[in-house]
Amino acid sequence: MADDLFMRLTTVHRPDCALFTEGPLPQPVPDPDRLAETLGTDEAAAYAAQCHPIFEDLRRIVGQLAGLMILGQLTEKSEVVDLDELDLCRQRWEACAERLHRLAAPGALAAHLEQLMASHSACGRALGAFSRLPALGQGETVFDEISRQIQRAYAHLRAATSQKAGLEMVDLTHACCSCGR
Amino acid sequence: MADYSIWVCEYSYVSKYHKSGVLYGAHNQGYLKLPYCYVVIKGKNHVAMVDVGYNDKEYGKTLGDRFGVENWRNPKTVLAEVGVTPEEVDTVFITHAHFDHFGNVEDFPNARFYIQEREIAKWVWAMSLPDRMRWMMVAVDPGDIVRGAGLARERRLTTVNGSVSDVLPGIDLHLAEDSHTFGSMWVTVRNDGRDQSEDVWVLAGDLIYVFENLRGPGDAVDAGEIYTPVGLAVGSQTNLVLATEEMMKQVGHDSNRIIPIHEERLRDAFPSRISKEGLRITEICLADGESSKVA
Repeated sequence: MADDLFMRLTTVHRPDCALFTEGPLPQPVPDPDRLAETLGTDEAAAYAAQCHPIFEDLRRIVGQLAGLMILGQLTEKSEVVDLDELDLCRQRWEACAERLHRLAAPGALAAHLEQLMASHSACGRALGAFSRLPALGQGETVFDEISRQIQRAYAHLRAATSQKAGLEMVDLTHACCSCGR
Repeated sequence: MADYSIWVCEYSYVSKYHKSGVLYGAHNQGYLKLPYCYVVIKGKNHVAMVDVGYNDKEYGKTLGDRFGVENWRNPKTVLAEVGVTPEEVDTVFITHAHFDHFGNVEDFPNARFYIQEREIAKWVWAMSLPDRMRWMMVAVDPGDIVRGAGLARERRLTTVNGSVSDVLPGIDLHLAEDSHTFGSMWVTVRNDGRDQSEDVWVLAGDLIYVFENLRGPGDAVDAGEIYTPVGLAVGSQTNLVLATEEMMKQVGHDSNRIIPIHEERLRDAFPSRISKEGLRITEICLADGESSKVA
């Protein structure tokens, strides 16, 4: 494992890679739908259903943080931290924390829940970095940190996607690619 | 004299797509083939693209299984048909943030990307709304915005406010506010380089899907032809019609010079061929000295 980490650090990833961030690495995990088939229990299905609002929360939080970071950096306006959207994003993150706290995963789905929690934690670190922006002006270091945490949050969430369980990154209903099927 | 060559490159398609998706009000009128394409603009020592398609690794299985999207090919394969590599692309104009236009930025490592600031800002706003208003987030992948943030960190993303002239020589960007999306953009190529150009091409993104959006049946209102907007509008069909009129003014009301990239019948209007992968390459125009890629 140490060798793997060493190789990652020295040969694969750039210094600003999101995978340098602390915590367990994003990894694909068995999705609730597949496990429901395997386990044959209602418990897994109930877990999948409870995941929906949490997944949706995280999907939005990640997208909002990324968009706010783009606007903050490219417009060079630190006022981005005063936008209602950032406040609403923080509120959603706090509500998501409560939902996550109440979510109980069957043993076989613990790894799935860990990915959601890791994504949530990374979002929290990004939000914390946003809070430091006014003090530091347009601090490049802060934007680097925000970017890294957002990418990490997305990677964890991506690892927890499940098509059949409806935990998907993009809502294709009525999309221009696929309208109405 | 033409400064740029323009090709529409198909990278995937849907065989049966609801006609009502491309044409407002066309309910129960069956299906049509919907090609997925991006545009290559080459000339003046630049290789530019309008949109970059989607990444099959991210979306392919879902699109294939659920929506019948077929025959996706990567940009390296598709662009080779017009003698270009993804690495040579230096400029990309993202018409809007839907995943099938903005979903493959990582395949263009040397490009600078342009997108309307409003497109980003309003998606951020939409994502802050209550779940019951989730419809406004349709077809946007937060991952694309994340990748946009990565581009911003690499200083390869430029946000545009409204219209901008000469982003590349003779190439202008225009905002269609609250139309197909919040900040949709079209690209205008003045191919003779003149301010009052007589050789204008408009690359319409999803503001125009098919020819009927420009030349729809007008019998019901005793007109020969009328603009009939695209079915999907996060903004409004009114704004789509107004944007169509602006585009038409730019081309002197010659609708043949507005290029709808989802239009299968481009083959009837321009020279084209099918590649060995079964995808169409359509040649809109050639720069001076450039050889045809469809002959």
